[in-house]
Amino acid sequence: MVEAFAVASGKGGTGKTTSTLALGMALAEDYDVTVIDADTGMANLLFHAGLDDADVTLHDLLVDERDAAVSDAVYERFGLSVVPCGTSLAAFEAADPGRLRDVVAELAADTDVLLLDSPAALGSKSAVLPVVLADRIVVVLQPTVPSLSDGLKVQEYAHSYGTDTAGVVFNRVRPDENVDRIAEQAGRYFGGQTLASVPESDAVRAARREGKPLLAHAPDDPAADAFREAAARLDVRDGDGREVAERFKSAVVPERI
Amino acid sequence: MRIPRGELRRSRVVDDAAAVLRTVLDEELTGYVVFEPQDALLLGETTRGVVTFEDGIPVLAYDTEREVGGRDGLEGFAVTGPTRAAVHAVDADALADAHEVEAFRVPPGEPARVLAGDERLAAKTTDAAPAARREEGRDQSAVESFLADADAIEEIRSEAREEARARASEWGLDDVLADDADDADDADDADDADAAAIDVGPDSR
Ligand SMILES: Nc1ncnc2c1ncn2[C@@H]1O[C@H](COP(=O)(O)OP(=O)(O)OP(=O)(O)O)[C@@H](O)[C@H]1O
Ligand SMILES: [Mg+2]
Repeated sequence: MVEAFAVASGKGGTGKTTSTLALGMALAEDYDVTVIDADTGMANLLFHAGLDDADVTLHDLLVDERDAAVSDAVYERFGLSVVPCGTSLAAFEAADPGRLRDVVAELAADTDVLLLDSPAALGSKSAVLPVVLADRIVVVLQPTVPSLSDGLKVQEYAHSYGTDTAGVVFNRVRPDENVDRIAEQAGRYFGGQTLASVPESDAVRAARREGKPLLAHAPDDPAADAFREAAARLDVRDGDGREVAERFKSAVVPERI
Repeated sequence: MRIPRGELRRSRVVDDAAAVLRTVLDEELTGYVVFEPQDALLLGETTRGVVTFEDGIPVLAYDTEREVGGRDGLEGFAVTGPTRAAVHAVDADALADAHEVEAFRVPPGEPARVLAGDERLAAKTTDAAPAARREEGRDQSAVESFLADADAIEEIRSEAREEARARASEWGLDDVLADDADDADDADDADDADAAAIDVGPDSR
């Protein structure tokens, strides 16, 4: 079975990368999880996962005459299969975003859950592709007006491409904030459910500095608990891996922008 | 936004914006600091932002490249790695006008939190701020009234839908649009021109 989730927000810095790895590790208790850095223009998942010096990355799989196999860019870390992306601007420019579909299709054949760490922008084809390719999105929000507003936008983009909302994670919630009221109101506009309210936590930043996912660095931190709760609420749907792979293959994505 | 040119006190590259904010707080600077993250320069990009201060307490933030102010502006130049910080002093009177621009104001602790991830300095700055400013924070009631305005939200959503569809054609992604999105397309084609005016933020490409 396989379901692909795009972890998206519309706005930068809400905690998509943090959430992708945290949800991935929590889901890995029950599923075979593959995490992909689909933020190909501003990749940074590699830093969060201690893969700074990864030799082969997603960028190498997105070039026309590639000589790397998809499996060369898959790293087994923290109980996850991680596909990092490089940070070179030249590599990003050489990459053909349309090829992401083939890579995702190939990875889908061999995993239970795919998590696509998605870009903060919506202004280019490479930025929306993760949302186009995914079955559902997980929206990572901060309880602020700009974040909610951008979250609504990314959700509309997703829905336009037939991608549903699995749920919403409120992140970086401060002790003085009562997210319940906001979540209840937001629930009227966002699909799916409120998956969790993740507190602002020093452990998250410390984990990033250590190059480890939060759940590896500080598994007992309240923020880690909240992410595990979110993962438990995510009802991963059954899908036939081959079928999904086929669907990705048949999605009509032209070769070039 | 216009900030009167001040007198340059010092300009140096620092590893951590917190150090600058802490000194400015200690010396009770009235003026502004221009932050210029250095890593972006290596990529051939310019990232630059300004924070103004009154007696050492942050008042406004403005991203001069993206031309965005307030908390959002702050996030535009909240980049990890070394940053050049140029500290300028300005007369309080000369800054008063600029400080009227509500939309660009930030809560006192916000620069420390966003630029440096330093909650302790944020708390210290908030404590040092005048009573009236201490109340400013992330305004939950603003979020609640935003969410209560169903019409405004529907407008954001329908504009985003329009924009998504317009761009799908531009990018050759028409064929993957959901069917119901296609149907809606016929209904409100007339609004397309409006949709183009919406700013979705900087593109990563
Ligand atoms: N719950 C939290 N508490 C404290 N800090 C957090 C929390 N979540 C994320 N952060 C911090 O916020 C910053 C942004 O997080 P992250 O990189 O996960 O966001 P992102 O949405 O992927 O950003 P981008 O849009 O740049 O890709 C990081 O420094 C991270 O450590
Ligand atoms: Mg990220």
